[in-house]
Amino acid sequence: MSSTIEAPGPSATATTALRSGRGRRARPPVLTTIAALVVAAASLAPFVYLIFQNGVSPSSIIDEFTKPGVPLLVWHTIELALGVSVAGSVLGVGLAVLVVRTDLPFRRLFTVLFVLPLSVPGFVGSFTWVALSLRFAPESRALFSYGGAVLVLTLATYPYIFLSAVAALRGIDPAQEEAARSLGHGPVGTFVRVTLPHLRPAIALGGLIVALHMFAEFGALQMLGFSTLTTAIVQRMTVFGDPDAARALSVVLAVVSVLVIALDAVVRGRTRPARTGSGTPRPPRRWSLGWTAPFLLGGSILVVLAALGVPAFAATTGLVRSFGAGGPGIPWAELADVTFATTRLGLAAALVAIVVGFPIAYLAARHPGVLSGLAERGIWIAHSLPGAILALSLVYVGVNWLHPLYLTTTMLVIAYVIMFLPLAVSSEYVGLARAARSYEQIARSLGDTPLRSTLRITLPLALPGVAVGALLVLIEVEKELTTTLLLHPTGTDTLSTALWATTNGEVLDFTAAAPYGVTLMLLAAIPAAILARRTLAQVD
Amino acid sequence: MAAPLRRLAAIACTVAITTVLVGCSSSSTTKTDDTGNDTAKAATITVYTGMHKELIETLASDFTKKTGIKVDIRAGEDAEMSAQVMTEGTRTKADVYLSEGPGPVARLASEGLFAKLPAADLKGLDPRLVPSTGNWAPYAARARVLLYNPTMIAENALPKSILDLSKPEWKGKFAYATSDGFPGTVSYLIDTIGQDKTLDWLKAIKENGVNEHKNGKIRDTVEAGQHAFGLTNHYYWYILAQTEGGADKLTSKLHYFSQPDAGGLLLASGAGVLEASKHKSEANEFVSWLVSPDGGQKVIAGDDASQFPAAKGVNSEVPGLPELDSLAAPEFNQAGFANLADAIALIEKAGMN
Repeated sequence: MSSTIEAPGPSATATTALRSGRGRRARPPVLTTIAALVVAAASLAPFVYLIFQNGVSPSSIIDEFTKPGVPLLVWHTIELALGVSVAGSVLGVGLAVLVVRTDLPFRRLFTVLFVLPLSVPGFVGSFTWVALSLRFAPESRALFSYGGAVLVLTLATYPYIFLSAVAALRGIDPAQEEAARSLGHGPVGTFVRVTLPHLRPAIALGGLIVALHMFAEFGALQMLGFSTLTTAIVQRMTVFGDPDAARALSVVLAVVSVLVIALDAVVRGRTRPARTGSGTPRPPRRWSLGWTAPFLLGGSILVVLAALGVPAFAATTGLVRSFGAGGPGIPWAELADVTFATTRLGLAAALVAIVVGFPIAYLAARHPGVLSGLAERGIWIAHSLPGAILALSLVYVGVNWLHPLYLTTTMLVIAYVIMFLPLAVSSEYVGLARAARSYEQIARSLGDTPLRSTLRITLPLALPGVAVGALLVLIEVEKELTTTLLLHPTGTDTLSTALWATTNGEVLDFTAAAPYGVTLMLLAAIPAAILARRTLAQVD
Repeated sequence: MAAPLRRLAAIACTVAITTVLVGCSSSSTTKTDDTGNDTAKAATITVYTGMHKELIETLASDFTKKTGIKVDIRAGEDAEMSAQVMTEGTRTKADVYLSEGPGPVARLASEGLFAKLPAADLKGLDPRLVPSTGNWAPYAARARVLLYNPTMIAENALPKSILDLSKPEWKGKFAYATSDGFPGTVSYLIDTIGQDKTLDWLKAIKENGVNEHKNGKIRDTVEAGQHAFGLTNHYYWYILAQTEGGADKLTSKLHYFSQPDAGGLLLASGAGVLEASKHKSEANEFVSWLVSPDGGQKVIAGDDASQFPAAKGVNSEVPGLPELDSLAAPEFNQAGFANLADAIALIEKAGMN
């Protein structure tokens, strides 16, 4: 079990029916509810600042929306989010089906390779694509287009959907598919009618993560020359030096994000992934690929080359230049320092995120309702704001509300937690949803307090999901740049800020940057590989 | 009955564990923060900068060697760092701000965040770089230039002025970037040809050219032969020349305007001392050293970043870099970069995003 979402298991419906049939619904525990709401409110601090700073009114929002160029930017933003989440779903689900449900050769190896692109920071991936294009097709501008942006960003983000889809596919009881087959459906019909509906929640949540990532994406899009609301916001902020204009436009982005998050709630509905059965369903039948095997194997290799090979190639050749004659050499001491700092920050943020995220995930899984829904959805908003805006809001929050903590590691960890909390919560939620509630109820009926039953029964059962959440946060923190630049304690650098410092502010030169770039990707590959290892358990 | 109590205890535990964890992780770094102020001898000043970090590190270590005053550096994107200083306001931890372009430093000055600088600091500097307000000191400069690919266009066929680029004959020939330097250029145009003509020019530029968003990408795409030439800042080309092992390894070349033109503006990098600084005398010492021909200017003259030293008579040692004196830059008050609102409004109106 290793994913951010999981399809409802075969007996979920039955359990739900049983529960509502009994008409018993425990009231949410007060302290947990308070804790969840406090955490959610704290994560909204940057958003609140944005609203107050601008004195937002409906008419001012409409004004911003109708400014010249803005409708086009809104369209580009939506078009990109849609394109990447659809392409990412097709690729992520397709690859998941290949490794879980077919006899693809080397599928265990491919499972690991398909997860690893998570460790490539977006700006590094896009830079290496541009460098490759300029080198091997100097006159081609094919990459600098909508298609180019969708391609590069899909390759960077599809692993989120792949991870979810693998877990969901593995959770399906093969008996249902077998029944469909016995009723005369072909393999394709069975997949469309039986398998795909089970994957819907996995695709929806993975798609939401990817779409909101796209809302916040800047570095890659600037490199690829595709303008969205976020590139325009960051341009106003960092190039034009006009933070007020940037914040005004950010409100437009925030409105679009809120709409998407709300829309997702409607689309995904209240589907509650759960499995109450004992043990795991038996492994599904694998389809034989037959004559298509070489083609699908070739396709898989192509995906790996595109998503991993391209950045690896640029990094390796850069490293060779670094080492080579006349190269700048490797700054070992500095490299060790920043690697240590990055690891420590990542671990601290991951730990805090899973701790403070737990009440929200617990409420959402055990006591779904209006409050838990608001808390669960609210934390996504910070995730969709551009780094530059979020970071500056946090500067304000730090200076004015948390001054003793400002520019300390503590404040930086708080910032990371705000940014990546949704990744922790959604994984914990899946973990909790899989830990059958009935065990908890049995413990309670035997006299355990709610807290004791949670700690002794639920937490251990939910632990895999909690671990996945921690790993995802760890990966993202290690790659984070914008917020780190503004909030790091003076004198503490991370791998990504050290990498940035070699760029002379403008161009990523993959010679001086190579030692940091390679170390960063290797470091982020550790949690990614652990995720992949957990996923492997579901492949065979 | 004990349930609520236990629940409370558990939550208290969680909070305590979290605090301890976070506390532990921060305690080991806070010692490098801004301590050491108690003893006047080991004073440390904090510099916020949008300039290339490596250049500032070299400057800082030379200054520390000379004076014993330590320098902590916070580096980031220019406008983000200046926005951070503005947001911090009177609680800022910055003693000195070192900008990359004139905009952020002029903006901080116009917000009244800088202390006055001794007039002597500004004396020996190129007067074209010194702001009329006199409360920040230019310590380096960059020039706007045309970067061209000689396999696609001869140097003598390049436009005599960037105003010509609105003509249809230039369609599809050039790249520009709505990056640093561009709003300043637009601001200069508003001053010289007026709002309406500037807007027309912008619309024509958008039609005729390609927005590459970043100066670095202009350099790389012109070098690759995607555009005959581009409007950019001079120094990216020198950085590439260095990486590739010499200007002769590059296809592209630089063209400096021989007549004062909007395409040849000089952009100052400026230094200011924060009014809120608690180490003003050390901060002033740093800025004075930074602009003195024997101090910081020497470092900038020798630096790989290929910028022009601001002090008169100090010339860069970077091969191929002309003397600042020899550049025919148009007159423009660097303090005017503080308010680029009109320029930005026009750029937005032209739909350049």
